[in-house]
Amino acid sequence: MKYFFFSLLLFTAAAQATQALTEFKSPEQRALFKELTHELRCPKCQNQNIADSNAVVAVDMRAKTLELVQQGQNKEQVLDYMKSRYGDFVHYQPPLNKFTLILWLLPALMVCGLIVLLLLRRRADRGAAATDPDDKTQSQPEQQLEQQLDQLIEQYRRKS
Amino acid sequence: MRKLAFFIPFVLFIALSVFLFSGLFSNPMERESSVLDQPLPAFALPDLHQPEKIWTPDSIKGKPLLLNVWGTWCVTCNAELAYLTELREQGVMIVGLYYQQPVDAAFGEVFNLSALQQEVTLKLEQQGNPYQWNILDKDRTLIFDLGVTGAPETFLIDAQGIIRYHHIGDINPQVWQQKLAAAYQSLQE
Repeated sequence: MKYFFFSLLLFTAAAQATQALTEFKSPEQRALFKELTHELRCPKCQNQNIADSNAVVAVDMRAKTLELVQQGQNKEQVLDYMKSRYGDFVHYQPPLNKFTLILWLLPALMVCGLIVLLLLRRRADRGAAATDPDDKTQSQPEQQLEQQLDQLIEQYRRKS
Repeated sequence: MRKLAFFIPFVLFIALSVFLFSGLFSNPMERESSVLDQPLPAFALPDLHQPEKIWTPDSIKGKPLLLNVWGTWCVTCNAELAYLTELREQGVMIVGLYYQQPVDAAFGEVFNLSALQQEVTLKLEQQGNPYQWNILDKDRTLIFDLGVTGAPETFLIDAQGIIRYHHIGDINPQVWQQKLAAAYQSLQE
């Protein structure tokens, strides 16, 4: 059994060894590569980023991203390179244009609508309160009822 | 006013339902290609069967054609070979762009051109040969520049080398009639 586990360890070592080691000139380039591969979307597998996917197109995009980053291109340049081939679809952050405008406007519109609705409602409530002159007399029957209730409670206490 | 406010949630619910319901019938693979109405990207790639011959955008200009991205490893591509061959017999010019899958050196894989040539020849003998010639894109450079996501994909290229249509998926009689036939005919004139 012990040997079995040791042989498993050997396998994991071999699997790690097949992962290509990539070297970067600076920690910034490494960080940029990591950021880009997490933000770029695989066009074939739809809901995976290219760091996550092993589809051929994702492997190629990863290699290209690495090449461009190592050439010293910045984030915007790499993104433009990918978008010119695979469209805006390929970046998880959609740009602001006439097709995506509603994504930005809708939440703001909903908040505005909600505020307007609340204001209208408050005004309506206040208007109703102002137009009702016998607002205080309305609570009089309630007071009488409460007094009756108190009296009843007193009676029962005395009986017991 | 109060009655109107009472209907707002109902209207929102209906709108959301219609939106989600229509989403059931949309195709997530369908999207505007970013290479449309642009000239073919620069390339210089060898012919699959005569590697000494190099194809460039200029050398394939002159006649409208279908550029079909395919590979023997791709099941759907094999399924469309028969229909594409029919189209060739009707006079449609089809050029193959061979999609070579990555060769993983870490697993001891080596790219073998003559084995690939034999495999392709055999496949085309069995299924039909729609291709005037095949361009070998070993490192998928042109395939990458064309924004190809997988195989099969087909581009309609006009006589000036401008990309007019980009179809993702196989070509069958229905797709040809609905999407490509009219565009191809209009390029002929």
